[in-house]
Amino acid sequence: MDGFSAISAGNGWLISALGISVVFFGLASLAFIISFFPRAISWWNDHAQTPRYVFPLLRSLLVKRRRKVPALLGSGESHEPGEIDDAEEDLRLLTAHMGEPFKLPRLIEMAEQRGLTRVHSTINRLIVRGTMVGGDDGLFRWTKGTDKKSPVEKKFEEIE
Amino acid sequence: MITIEELKRYEIFAEMDLTELKLLSAMAEERKAREGDELIRIGSPARTLYILQEGGLMVVFPDGRAITLHKPGRVVGWSALVSPTHYTASVTCLTDSILIAFPGSELLRLVQRNVAFGTKIMRKISEVLSRRLPFLQEKDKRILKQRS
Repeated sequence: MDGFSAISAGNGWLISALGISVVFFGLASLAFIISFFPRAISWWNDHAQTPRYVFPLLRSLLVKRRRKVPALLGSGESHEPGEIDDAEEDLRLLTAHMGEPFKLPRLIEMAEQRGLTRVHSTINRLIVRGTMVGGDDGLFRWTKGTDKKSPVEKKFEEIE
Repeated sequence: MITIEELKRYEIFAEMDLTELKLLSAMAEERKAREGDELIRIGSPARTLYILQEGGLMVVFPDGRAITLHKPGRVVGWSALVSPTHYTASVTCLTDSILIAFPGSELLRLVQRNVAFGTKIMRKISEVLSRRLPFLQEKDKRILKQRS
């Protein structure tokens, strides 16, 4: 017996399929793990020397994963109720690490790396609300006592 | 095409007469961009000047500093009118935005052909520039100084 009949007799087809599957799943798992490397390295670069922020950041990452909301296409400025306040908390945590005043593009980059959704429009809303302000130096700060809504924010709500 | 009435709303065109507005209206186009879109990339050839109609923009300078624009009528992409025509900052949409886009080459041709129009528009552009001057790189400042 030789050729295809020998392969069939020795369960060759099944063994080949099994081999291909094992290799495929092995490579897929490896690719999946490697895809997390950039995020892990960037996280490590940002926080390796500041252990006091590690636990709050880990906690915020886990919380974020649970409440991640898909982007509302074509919804412009609309956000889920409370989404802005939640995002503000996360952003404040990040800026606590960065220090104030902070560079806005860097904050956006870090927030996106941590999986926050709709960072740009959230920040836009915070600026319009007056919670976050840009200085003449091109750097941004949080304002104190920002519970009160600015006239711009009130107008914004009227339009909505 | 953008209507003359729409263009009249913006401060940059406040001093323009009807003929100039007609020319501008013919070359203007509405452009929509999504939240997070990079409208302008620093260093790329400056081919378009934009006026914000609706939305919010973030202008990012080479050192990472930034300003945000929210008021309709704000101008970005002035580099399209100043040689060497390369953008000196990046612009990203903070929200879904609607902009009026002017092709830089056509606008520049109009500026060169019509001195009165050129003076008016360059005066407005220089106002925008003076607000952003602190953020520009030394080489960009030198170029602008040479041209003024």
